[in-house]
Amino acid sequence: MARMDRSLSDAALVHQAATRPPVGGWAAQRRRAFLLGLIPALVVLAAITLAPALYLLVTSLTPLSLVRPAETAWNFSRPWTNFVALMADARFTNSLGVQVRLSVVTVSLQLLAGLAVALLLNARSPLLEAVRTAFLVPMVLPPIVVAIIWKVLYTPEISPIHHLLARVGLPVSSLITNPRAALWAIALADTWEWFPFTMIMILAALQMIPEEPMEAARIDGAGPWQLFRFVILPLLRPTLLLATLFRLIDSIKAFPLIYVMTNGGPGMVTEVTNYYAFIQAFNFSYWGYASAITVIMVTGVFFLSWLITRVVGTEVDIE
Amino acid sequence: MSSRDRGARARRRRILLYGTAVLLLVLTLFPFFWLLQMSFRSNDDILGFTLLSRPTLEHYGALRVGQFPRSFANSILASIASTLLSLLLGVPAAYSLSRGEFRARRQLALWVLATRMAPPIAFTIPFFLAYRHLELLDTVLGLVLIYLTFNLALVIWMMRTFFDGVPRALEEAAWIDGSSVWGGFLRVTLPLAAPGLAATAVLCFIFSWNDFFYALILTRTAAMTAPVAIVNFMQYEGWEWGKIAAGGTLVMLPVVVFSLVVRNYLVHGLTAGGLKE
Repeated sequence: MARMDRSLSDAALVHQAATRPPVGGWAAQRRRAFLLGLIPALVVLAAITLAPALYLLVTSLTPLSLVRPAETAWNFSRPWTNFVALMADARFTNSLGVQVRLSVVTVSLQLLAGLAVALLLNARSPLLEAVRTAFLVPMVLPPIVVAIIWKVLYTPEISPIHHLLARVGLPVSSLITNPRAALWAIALADTWEWFPFTMIMILAALQMIPEEPMEAARIDGAGPWQLFRFVILPLLRPTLLLATLFRLIDSIKAFPLIYVMTNGGPGMVTEVTNYYAFIQAFNFSYWGYASAITVIMVTGVFFLSWLITRVVGTEVDIE
Repeated sequence: MSSRDRGARARRRRILLYGTAVLLLVLTLFPFFWLLQMSFRSNDDILGFTLLSRPTLEHYGALRVGQFPRSFANSILASIASTLLSLLLGVPAAYSLSRGEFRARRQLALWVLATRMAPPIAFTIPFFLAYRHLELLDTVLGLVLIYLTFNLALVIWMMRTFFDGVPRALEEAAWIDGSSVWGGFLRVTLPLAAPGLAATAVLCFIFSWNDFFYALILTRTAAMTAPVAIVNFMQYEGWEWGKIAAGGTLVMLPVVVFSLVVRNYLVHGLTAGGLKE
């Protein structure tokens, strides 16, 4: 490769000498061209990601409220107030608990369901190929449509499921207005939406598993369960960890389902941290406080990902 | 055991497998089809559980008046504009990253991953505050800009891996023939990466189209997008389930079709920044 590069740049140099004024040679010219291609995107990316991050951080140190912008904007007299107040805010602590419960349940269910369906569909056949594609539908629907679909299923007056249960003599009252069931109802809808994601990741990994270790295990007399437990599962480990990482990160963004189905209620049982920050900013206009919540959230997400990538990174090559 | 027995057993297993797979699929997609059929039921029958006997388009007709057509147009405009802008900025950057030996590649990958991880509220708060002063609240341009926060990183990430897959020898031949760096890129490399470009564009479109959170917060009436308009049917106009179902169907059909077309790239796009190709 290096030799080819050299012969190429020689050729280009010869060519250049004939047609263009030599400005630092072909290699330097290429490098300048590449920088020119890169810089606009990096400047824009910085302007729309780094600048807002900084703005968020600064806002979290002020008591900004758009009800009284004159006194509260850029007021750094007591920079840590928001964070101190958060530590004593029971509603914030509650939201963290809701978030942990929702994330643990949905990510576990998505991994289990994704793994089960992937193992079932992992065979060469045109029919299964079509089935695999059709299974992706929940994941590619706009999240708001998923929320509407499940709102319909959870509203007793129009839900076919409630209707069926009432028919067979087992009427169930609405799950999303029941404080003990609402979070699980949301978890079920979220699992439905995102198990196809873990499913295709696992399917892709299953298709990469070489035949030899499977054959060797079979010759040694391994049954299907042992084959799965001691050959397939260890080979799937990196994929499972990676799927966990991505689902965990996204579970913290849960919004449309909660917004449409429960609005954080009943009470605060489905009010995740993301939703609480949203309410503080857009309902109560406590922007500084909402920024502080968000800063803690982002820090938490980054720390969590760092922790997982350290585990995963030793096994799969993460850039 | 005779070979015929084994053949019969394998066939039985196969039928059982296909049966289970199809049954599971039907159960899984049932909620999706339920919304679809609701959109064709007349209002006096909307809660009916019988088979759909007299499909009607009345809800789709009802959507033609009011704010829905405009919000649908806003969705299309914002998604297409954001896709084009991200490609315009991101494609040259991706090519530069693929070909130039930049030492900061690793840091850039981390940056892409970080923007992918940050919850939308982290962008919404500063963008909302800034837009108040820039007069970008309730404008399609405002949406296009905030959609860049996810689309630009996605384009850089995906296109880089596609360019990595195009052999360098071809563009080098073009350079020897006298093309400039970007001339060779446009004439040789980009056409060879066209399928990847198409897939990336479709993903950008889908992600913008699916957005609900940003549009909910950054728009009111003028730039409202279709997903927000549907939710407004719920909150302000009472529970018009037929209209909600019809609107939901119109919003989901294009993405379902597009997504299944680019299904092979879907995981790659969703895990941008985290997977080494």
